[in-house]
Amino acid sequence: MCGIAALFSYGSAGPTVDRDEIEAITERMRARGPDAGGTWISPDARVALGARRLAIIDLTDEGTQPMTDVDGELHIVFNGEIYNYRELRARLERLGARFHSTTDTEVLLQLYRHDGAAMVELLRGMFAFVIWDPRSRRMFAARDPYGIKPLYIADDGQTFRAASTVKALLAGGRVGTALDPAGVAGFWLMGSVPEPHTIFQSIRAVEAGTSLFVDARGVHDVRRYYSIAATLARGVRDVAAAHLVQPPVLLRELITDSLRHHLIADVPVGAFLSSGIDSTALVALATEATGRPPRTVTLRFEEFRGRESDEAPLAERFARAVGSDHATRLVTRDEFEADLPKLFDAMDQPTIDGTNTWFVSKAAAERGLKVALSGLGGDELFGSYPSFRDLPRIVNATRLPLAAAAAGRLTRNPKAGAMMQYGRTWSGAYLLKRGLFLPDDLPSLMGADAAREGLERLAILDHIAATIEPDPGTPFGRVASLEASLYMRNQLLRDTDWASMAHSLEVRTPLVDATLLRQIAPLLMVEKQRCKRHFAKSPRNPLPAWLSGRKKTGFTVPLAAWAQLQPDGTSTRMRSWARLVMERWA
Amino acid sequence: MRILHVGTDSFGGYGGIALYNRELIAAMASHPSVEEVVVVPRIIVGELEAIPEKVTFVTTASRGRLAYLNALRNARGRFDLVVCAHVNLLPIVRLITKHPLLMLYGIEAWKPLRDPWSNRLLRNVRGVVSISDITRERFTGWSHYAGPSLLLPNSIRAEWYGIRPKNPGLVARYHLDGNRVLMTLGRVIAAERYKGFDEVLDVLPELDDDISYLIAGGGNDVPRLKQKAAGLGIAHRVVFTGLFPEEEKADLYNLADVYVMPSRGEGFGFVFLEALACGVPVIASRLDGGREAVRLGQLGQLVDPTSPAEIRTAIQDTLSARSPKRIPEGLDYFSYGNFERRTHAIIDELAANA
Repeated sequence: MCGIAALFSYGSAGPTVDRDEIEAITERMRARGPDAGGTWISPDARVALGARRLAIIDLTDEGTQPMTDVDGELHIVFNGEIYNYRELRARLERLGARFHSTTDTEVLLQLYRHDGAAMVELLRGMFAFVIWDPRSRRMFAARDPYGIKPLYIADDGQTFRAASTVKALLAGGRVGTALDPAGVAGFWLMGSVPEPHTIFQSIRAVEAGTSLFVDARGVHDVRRYYSIAATLARGVRDVAAAHLVQPPVLLRELITDSLRHHLIADVPVGAFLSSGIDSTALVALATEATGRPPRTVTLRFEEFRGRESDEAPLAERFARAVGSDHATRLVTRDEFEADLPKLFDAMDQPTIDGTNTWFVSKAAAERGLKVALSGLGGDELFGSYPSFRDLPRIVNATRLPLAAAAAGRLTRNPKAGAMMQYGRTWSGAYLLKRGLFLPDDLPSLMGADAAREGLERLAILDHIAATIEPDPGTPFGRVASLEASLYMRNQLLRDTDWASMAHSLEVRTPLVDATLLRQIAPLLMVEKQRCKRHFAKSPRNPLPAWLSGRKKTGFTVPLAAWAQLQPDGTSTRMRSWARLVMERWA
Repeated sequence: MRILHVGTDSFGGYGGIALYNRELIAAMASHPSVEEVVVVPRIIVGELEAIPEKVTFVTTASRGRLAYLNALRNARGRFDLVVCAHVNLLPIVRLITKHPLLMLYGIEAWKPLRDPWSNRLLRNVRGVVSISDITRERFTGWSHYAGPSLLLPNSIRAEWYGIRPKNPGLVARYHLDGNRVLMTLGRVIAAERYKGFDEVLDVLPELDDDISYLIAGGGNDVPRLKQKAAGLGIAHRVVFTGLFPEEEKADLYNLADVYVMPSRGEGFGFVFLEALACGVPVIASRLDGGREAVRLGQLGQLVDPTSPAEIRTAIQDTLSARSPKRIPEGLDYFSYGNFERRTHAIIDELAANA
C-alpha cells in the first residue's frame, strides 16, 4: 500500500518534468506510505516517478519504489497488493524471468515484460500502478477491477500526470483548481463524486477495471478489461456449477481461498469487527484458516449505548468466543470535533461517508496494525441492502401508475414525489433509492447554470445504466451490479482508502475480489439473498443465532448528534451533513 | 478376512467408477490377510475382464433387481468388512450391515443426498474412503461426518498408454494435419455442463489459428457446443469425435499437444492421469479434484476455470514451451503399486480399529 505519482512530458512542445513537482506530489501522500519514499527522473527528464511506501511485503530496501527491473530497463510505481504474486512469479520463473527482490511490485514488472497489457487480467488483488517502458517510450497504467485502489490523472495535452489522490496532484502546483460542475453535481446527487469525474475539471479518475497507454500521442488504448455486470451475466450462464456443492460449503471454500490470499503479508493482519455477519464470519474463517484469530477492533459510541446500533457488546462476545485479542475503542463527540479538521484535510474529495472508517482505522493503527481485514462488500455481494428488495418493487410499481402516484402522495419522503419520473427504469429507480438529492434540487445547491452544465455532462441516468450493461439478467444481478459499481466503488471504497491511509493503515477486503465474484456468481444467481445465511453457516462452527439472527444495522457513527445537523427531511440528516462537507472540505 | 463389495459396476463395466472398483477389488484381494472378496455388481454391460484371485464375482446379481437383492441376502452376516461402493446404495447395504465402509468419488457426495434416510445412515458408517481430498472436505462439510475418513486416489496403469506418434488415420479423419491440438475427453451431456468445454471454446478465438480443439466423447450437449463454436466463428477448428471405441483412446490422447479440462465438477479427474501417461502436458482446474490429479501443480498446470485469461495463458505457455513429450516421473505416485499399498493400509487401519 502506497501513494504513487507519475509525470510524463510526452508532447514535443512540453517542458521537461520538474523535480519539485514530483516531490511535492509525493510528499502530499506521506501518510499513505510513512516507511520510505523516493523519486526517479529519467535521464532525458521527460519522465518522473514518485512513491511513498507502506512496507507490507518484503520489508527490505529491495522493495523500495520507484522500482527498476533486474535489467535496469522498466520502471514502476505501484499502490496495492497482488495477492497471487507467488503463483505469478513461479510461472514467470519457469519462463525465464529473473528477480532482485521478493516483492509483488517486481512481479508486475516481469509480468508486463512477458504479457504486456494483458497482464492485468492475471492479477488477483487491489492495485493501481504506472510502468514506464523506455523501449517503446510509453507509459502503461492500470487500476484493479473493483476500483479498490485509486488512480487519478491530469492531461494538459503536453504533460500527463498521475497520482493516488486528487489532492496530491494539486499539490504539485501545475494542475488547475477550477471545480467541475459534473463532479459537483455528482456529489449532490450521490453523496460522492462518481468516477471518472472528480471535483476538479482538470483531473479524471482512471476507471476501475481499465488500463491505458500514454506515449507521444497522449493517452490512448483505454481498455476496460473487467466488468461486474458481465461477470454476473456469465454467472447466469454457468448456473449448473451452482448446484454441485452445498452452498455454505462452497462459500467456505471460496471465501477461505480469498482470505488466504488476503492474509499474505510480512506484518500482522488484524480485522475490523462489528456485530454483523460479514465481519464476524470473516474472522471465524480467518481463524480456521490460520489456526489463530486476528487481532480485532470495534468502535463504541456513548450515544448508541443500549441501542441496537451499539455493536460493541456482541462484537466483544464474539471475540471472546473465537479467542481474539480484541479492543473496543470508545469514540466521543470531543474526539470527533478535535479530529474534524484532520478528517476534512484527509478527505480526498467531498463525500458524505468515511467518518466511521476514519475512527476504526485510527483505532487499528493505535493497536500497532498496518493491515486490517474488513467485511466491506458483503452487502453488495449477498444482497443485504434494502435496495435489493426495493428497486424491483419500484420498477414494478411504476407499471401501476395509480399506485405509484398514490405512494408518492402518501409518504413524507422528499423523493417519493419523483417516483413516476424516475421509477420506470432501473437507473432511475437506483437514483431515487440511493440519491442524496434529485436533479431538480441542484439549482438551489450549486446555481442554475452550473447545475445545468453539470447535469448535462454527468448524464447521471446514462452513467448508472452503463453499470448494468451487459444485463446481468436478473433483478438480483442488476442491483448487485449497480451497488458494487456505484455506491461501493465511488463511496465505500473511496472513503475506505482515504480514511485508512490517513492512519497509514491498509484495509483489505476479501469480499471485494474479482476472482471470488467470478467463482461465486453462479451461486449468487441461484441463491440470491439466501447467500448471506449460507455465509453465516459457512464456518465449521457456524455463527451463533445471537449474531446471525440479529437485525442489520449498518456501520454508522452518531453524526447527527455530533455535528448538530439540522433536520433535512431524511432520517440520517445526510443532506445537512453534505452541505457541511461541501463548506469545509478543502 | 472376508470382504463384501457392494457396487454398481466393476468388472464388465464402463467408465471411471467401474475402473476404480476393479482396481480396488484387486487391491483388496491381494492383501495377505484377505481370504475372499465377494463382489455383488448391479450392472454388467460389457465383457468381463480377468477376475483376480480370491475374488468371487456374483454375476447372477446383475440379472435384475430381485436377483441383486437375492445375492445380497445370501451374503448377509458372513463378512468382516462390507464396502458400500456408491453412496446411493447405502439403503440396500443397510440390509446387510449398519457399518459399511463407504466409498466417495465426486459430485454425488458434494451435497446432501436426496433421500433423507441415506443422510441418516451416513452417521453409522465404519469409515469413508474418498477418491480426493476435495470430495472428502465437501462431504464432511455438509454431513458433519466425524468418523475415520481416508484417501484413496485413482491409479493409472501407465503401461497401457505410452507416447506414440500421432495416428495418421485419426489425423486424417479429424483433419488435424499440421495443427496443434487441445483436447478434452469426457461425456458431453447437458446435465454435466461443468466439464470445461465451454471455457475452452471461449478462449479459442484468441488463440492462434493453427490450434484446434478436439472434444473426445459424445452426448446430448454436442449440438449446443457445435452451435456455440459456429457462433464464435471457430467451427472449423473444433472437432467432435462422438463416442469412440476404447481401443482408440490412447491414440486419441496422443493426438493432443495439450490436454485441458478447466472443470468444476470432477471428483478427481482420471483423464489427467491418462493424458500424462501418454506424455501430454495437462491443464487442470484449481476448483475441483483435477488439482489433486496433477498433485497441486507438480504434474501439470492449474487454472481457475472461471478465468478465461488464466486458461488462455496456460495454453499459450504450454504450447510455446515446445518441450518434447515425456511422462512425468511424479506420475508414479498414482501407480497401481502405490494404490495397492494404500488399499492395504486402509484395510490394516480398519482391522486395527475394529
